[in-house]
Amino acid sequence: MLPWPFWVGVVLLNVAFAAALRGDAVGPAHRVVMLWLVVVLVLVLFGTALFVTDVPRGEVAFRHLGIADALSDMQRVDPGIDAYFNWPGFFALLATLLAATGLDPVSVALWAPVLNVFLWLAAVGVVMRYLTNDPRRRWLVLWIFCLGNWQDQDYLSPQAFGVFLYLVIVALLVGPLAALPPRFRGFRRADLAAWWQERRPADSRPGHRVAALAMVLLLVVVIFASHQLTPFMVLFAITTLTLSGRVWPSQLPLITAVVLVLWFVYPASAYLAGHPPIEDAGFQGAVATNVVERVGGTPGHLLVVQLRVGLTVVLWLLAAAGAVREWRRRRLDIRVAILAAAPLMLFPVQSYGGEMLIRVSLFALPFIALLACSALLPPDGSLRLSIRRAAALVLTFVVLAVLNVTGRFGNAEYDLFSDSEMAAVTAVQSLAPPGSVIISAAHPTPWRDQTYLEHQYRTIDDLCSPDLSAATCGPIVYNFVRHNAQGGFLMFLRSSEASIVLQGESTTEGFAELEEWLDAQNGVRLAFSNAEARVYRMTP
Amino acid sequence: MNGGISRPTLALGLAAVALSVVTLVGLPGPLQALVALTVLVLLPGQALVRLTPVTDAALAALLVVALGIATLTAVSTAMFYLTVWSWQGCVVAMGAITVLACLARERKEAPA
Repeated sequence: MLPWPFWVGVVLLNVAFAAALRGDAVGPAHRVVMLWLVVVLVLVLFGTALFVTDVPRGEVAFRHLGIADALSDMQRVDPGIDAYFNWPGFFALLATLLAATGLDPVSVALWAPVLNVFLWLAAVGVVMRYLTNDPRRRWLVLWIFCLGNWQDQDYLSPQAFGVFLYLVIVALLVGPLAALPPRFRGFRRADLAAWWQERRPADSRPGHRVAALAMVLLLVVVIFASHQLTPFMVLFAITTLTLSGRVWPSQLPLITAVVLVLWFVYPASAYLAGHPPIEDAGFQGAVATNVVERVGGTPGHLLVVQLRVGLTVVLWLLAAAGAVREWRRRRLDIRVAILAAAPLMLFPVQSYGGEMLIRVSLFALPFIALLACSALLPPDGSLRLSIRRAAALVLTFVVLAVLNVTGRFGNAEYDLFSDSEMAAVTAVQSLAPPGSVIISAAHPTPWRDQTYLEHQYRTIDDLCSPDLSAATCGPIVYNFVRHNAQGGFLMFLRSSEASIVLQGESTTEGFAELEEWLDAQNGVRLAFSNAEARVYRMTP
Repeated sequence: MNGGISRPTLALGLAAVALSVVTLVGLPGPLQALVALTVLVLLPGQALVRLTPVTDAALAALLVVALGIATLTAVSTAMFYLTVWSWQGCVVAMGAITVLACLARERKEAPA
């Protein structure tokens, strides 16, 4: 549980922002004040962990450091290793930056959430300059973007990098590359043709448009080289905005699609051969992996999942109310509606390991936030907010903040790692000979940041799920390691045990029985232990 | 103006050359990080943005970072695919891109 002063701080911060947003009859407070408040909010929501631990949250950032490390060691790309090496752009960047700057990789991973959110906010801020003239609305979008950002995708990752570049592309699409369509006359072929041909560029300088197009193409290529999913989002956004008549270069969707196909059939062909693109597509499969399979576990874990869903639903309802209000006033910017809805097209494309809904809500968030502003602010942007409306804003902010912090840090029992646990992982990585198996109880485990290619990494959960009982799972794990020529190591960390118990895969007692069973087998002996971790060496 | 080339362009090009050398030679701790990030991201980003007619200051600032990172990603990835990667090679390549962008800018600035 976070201490009460934290929550008092959150409430005071939101009151301060509402007061600054209220400002005076001219507009909100000076932008230095608004900027300062946003910076403090980012530090409170996304940087709190920095002040209490030196270890990054979650497992994946460690894995990404390991991939960059492996690339540096190999000095080449081998797409046969795994999916990451089919989209190596971000890891190539990371390897270069870490080597050239000499920064500590774990510190970079620790600070990544704050840095990524600042980059996202910078891009969202520029996008909003093109989508609204109301300064209150611009600042409120940034605030809601932070409060609604429960998705936890801002760690050191290709997707966080992809989101930033995606937002920059959107800024160019709604800025220098925007088009102004004439009044829509109807769906008859002649009307549509006339409507399309009468579009004109919003920026009258051809040089500016050509430069912006070149920048979009560079960003598209870099995104396509760096992440598996973001290219589809880029393609959907470019295509839908172009079809709506709001983007000037009409060939851009085709060019983007060609780059996407080329990347899949050449650099990512090794992945494509083993994973046909529509293998796990479909609405039913997406619902099963993104919703049904994620709603399980202990009551506490379920509450966290429900709060995340609740936060998303609250924001989408506010956005829907705002969109209806703008529609009635005949002021709805179709680009905002398109950019808010386009991510939904990702949902049935692939299950994406059950994370597609998370990604959909993140890509939509800036535009959902902008639509929500229409429900939260008075219709005339120049009006000063009433005290009552400012109070309602504070209440909304506090509710969103509580949902955000609880949803984001609600799984801290298993996605925050202690120094003792890190000591156990370090010990295993130094003790394990190349070729040996390293087994942890469950994800997340803070491993693979140094010896990514040297070992097989498995979890008991992966090997045995759904039956983790000692009688069934014990022999599976034991035989898996014993049949490996180099043997292996078995890690029991406090956090991974909590992960299994909280997510309802086993119980504390059941887990203790499994460890006891494995400990009693031939060739198994305790190699390292401390208050929160035990490591067993298993000889072949 | 300085013989047809503007001072900012000249400063950018010279800074790219000087800081690339300094990065390759090496500096203590945080200074190395600061200088390396400048050479690898900020200077190339700034040089490339100066080639475009972007006038909006906020968009230009965003593009400095985005183009700098994107170009470094493209260069690093290409070097890995070509099996010629080294961080020193990336520093030299990004320094060269900055200088080339400055030269292109200088051609635009030169009177017809």
